[in-house]
Amino acid sequence: MIAVDITISGLILGGMYAMVALGLTLQYGVSRIMNLAYGELLLAGSFGAYWLYAAHAVSPLVGLTLVVPIAFLANWAIYQFLLMPLVRRAKSREALEADSILFTFGLLFVLQGIGTAVVGTQFYSYVYLAVPVDILGFTVSANRLLAALIALAIGTALYIGLTRTRIGTAIRAVAVDPRAARLVAIDVPKISGLVFAAGGALSAAAGVLVSMFLTFSVSGGVVFTMKALVIVIMGGVGNLLGTLVAGLILGFVEVIVGRLIDPGLTLAANFVIFLAVLLVRPTGLFGRAA
Amino acid sequence: MTARLFWQIPALIAVVAALAAFPFKADGYYLALSITILQYVVLATAWALFSGPTRYISLATVAFFGVGAYTMAVLSERLPVPAIIALAALVGVAVAVVVGMSTLRLRGVFFVIFTFGLAELIRQLVTWYEIKVTRTVGRYIFLSIGQDQIYWELLTLAVLVFFVGWFIGRSRLGLALRVIGDDETVARHVAINTTTAKLVLFAISAAFIAATGAVMAPRYTYIDPAFAFNPLISFQVVIMALLGGIGRLWGPLVGVVPLVLIFETISANFPNHVSIVLGVVFIAIVYFLPGGVVGLIDRWRAGGIRLPASVEPRTALRSGDAVLELVGVRKAFGGLVAVDDVSLTVAQGEILGLIGPNGSGKTTALNLISGALRADSGEIRFRGHPITRLPAHDIARLGIARTFQLVRVLENLTCRENVIAGLAFRPDPLWGEPARSRANALLDRVGLATRIDVPAGQLTYIDQKRLELARALALEPELLLLDEWLAGLNARELQVGIELVRSLRAEGLTIILVEHVMDAIRSLCDRCIVMNAGRKIADGPPSAVLAEREVIAAYIGDAVA
Repeated sequence: MIAVDITISGLILGGMYAMVALGLTLQYGVSRIMNLAYGELLLAGSFGAYWLYAAHAVSPLVGLTLVVPIAFLANWAIYQFLLMPLVRRAKSREALEADSILFTFGLLFVLQGIGTAVVGTQFYSYVYLAVPVDILGFTVSANRLLAALIALAIGTALYIGLTRTRIGTAIRAVAVDPRAARLVAIDVPKISGLVFAAGGALSAAAGVLVSMFLTFSVSGGVVFTMKALVIVIMGGVGNLLGTLVAGLILGFVEVIVGRLIDPGLTLAANFVIFLAVLLVRPTGLFGRAA
Repeated sequence: MTARLFWQIPALIAVVAALAAFPFKADGYYLALSITILQYVVLATAWALFSGPTRYISLATVAFFGVGAYTMAVLSERLPVPAIIALAALVGVAVAVVVGMSTLRLRGVFFVIFTFGLAELIRQLVTWYEIKVTRTVGRYIFLSIGQDQIYWELLTLAVLVFFVGWFIGRSRLGLALRVIGDDETVARHVAINTTTAKLVLFAISAAFIAATGAVMAPRYTYIDPAFAFNPLISFQVVIMALLGGIGRLWGPLVGVVPLVLIFETISANFPNHVSIVLGVVFIAIVYFLPGGVVGLIDRWRAGGIRLPASVEPRTALRSGDAVLELVGVRKAFGGLVAVDDVSLTVAQGEILGLIGPNGSGKTTALNLISGALRADSGEIRFRGHPITRLPAHDIARLGIARTFQLVRVLENLTCRENVIAGLAFRPDPLWGEPARSRANALLDRVGLATRIDVPAGQLTYIDQKRLELARALALEPELLLLDEWLAGLNARELQVGIELVRSLRAEGLTIILVEHVMDAIRSLCDRCIVMNAGRKIADGPPSAVLAEREVIAAYIGDAVA
């Protein structure tokens, strides 16, 4: 019955990975910022939840409602004050990508340095809802299940927001063609800033959810960034359903490799998939030819 | 040049000799500091060797560095040290070739991301191997290698990396990489095998980085994966190279020295804030010094080696033989069939007009012939040989040159360099002085004699079109594909343009002309093929073809016809 076990674990892990990548697919797909400091901003959410829970006994669910708006504002400020000069100066999409990669690479080290100075390099975790829940005869811990359900709700809300609302339509227009979007009176810089902020808020939300059941440390951001990048590219940049499918694929592969081969090789497995996708379908599983 | 070399070489030898004598004078601290500086000089220069001209930002420096360090750690007591360093360089090359073959054909941004994760991947694999197989986390290196020896080894590497960089800068490989950095599509159409060129340089760069890792390893007697694959090394290398400027060989050197001194001071006084300061310095460079201290202006100097080039020599065709044949060629984009079962023949010395309304598939047809696109079915033969599946750079080498409908010049290179890009990679390449004088002659021919040293980005649209033609002619093609080359010219320029095309034909060139300017078609073309909705609808002399009902209908609608 290892198959059922793998299915349940894979679904939960994959769902979380999709959640982790949602923010990046917005930031890169719409605002065109290739954010290498993404994982650090995600961890900021984790540490926020930890601080609220450990020091003030605020439940992570309540913490979510505090952390997310703060992350939104912080990311908006990063875009408005730090990235705007680069956006203005960029002559082309490629130039902005190159500049933003370098900038966020620097930001990664700044954030890591601040984090180390504030909380040190040790691992953190807290115990929240660590009770077993029975699904089809297999036990899953309640915190993981809850996190996966919240992630599902957030993802669904985002999907509906993007496909059914006026601002969602504007965002999709900017994602497809910023120049053409301007011609139909969409304020592209404003949308880009808001979407970057929303992406950051989503990443912080993912950070809170992940903190409910994982140990984390300041230096762990790179791994989240890598996984998010792999999922975003695999799913097709800016494609939410693609992100979900790619996240699930990654989750299942990790669970299968971890259970059946060796837990030390999961990251290597990630890379093999990543490379295979890039070589066979560089525009992602569901992307169109460029 | 020789006069400059006359005093430059002794000066360089004197500098290197003075540096080599340094360990006899210096005490421990300054020697240790200069080892760190030399280490980053080699790393940053090797990094810029590849990332400078191609603009592929590699974040994988430490992957190669760590591989080199581990080569030393594993073999330290089994082989003499110089052999291990050489071996480490080879291992670096091997890793670079494996990684490069799979990733260098990717668009720049994907390459960056992949290299970003590569160090982490290798680190995890090494950790996994050590824990599973050797059951240790770290390794000890018991070698009696003093600081002096490490210093001299690094100095040797530094001299080598500068020599190799200087050599590449003067070679055709160097030009190839700059063309790639400017416009990869153009690079392919002037017969550059872009993947190979990038791979060669990536491997050279990796060899130096891995060798540095091997040299540095004995300094630390104990290494483990977290230390050998520390991402901070990659990061510092990128900062230093960018600060100095990657447009010139000496650029990274300019960045390394001050930054090593600053970082040493910071880590001595504020050990907990190194990465914050690093990050801030880096962001400041991205904002304020995008071209580095040296600036992006890289005056490329000509000199001369040749890349291996082997293509069968061309044999003369008789006038009237078929140069190009298309048989049932088809290309679809999703549901849209852009070229639908087109067959045609172009005879030696002919000017063939390819006309039709917008969207009828003319440019797609040119892209299929020149290898920018690959046909779904059918066959394209050039001088009797099938070229349907050949990559663009091979087709260019065989003798098909093109211009682009939306003009594509290499904006950061001068006009002459643009033309030399066409001369340097053809089957009988020109380089050095012959290339320069040939380029001058070609520029003169298209009317750009006065603009030889102007960067192509500063030319007017019309002049860019002229330059593009000169670059295409530099390939000495047998077949020239002109995609709306005469569009947008005023009446006088048009007359000059028509004369120019006519004179090219008089020299034996075969030409396919995609054009909307009817005057040009009538006066130049021997024959016209009319396309509509991807299909060939007429074929014959211009006067006859342009009078056909179906052609008129295609252009201005059925009602009028």
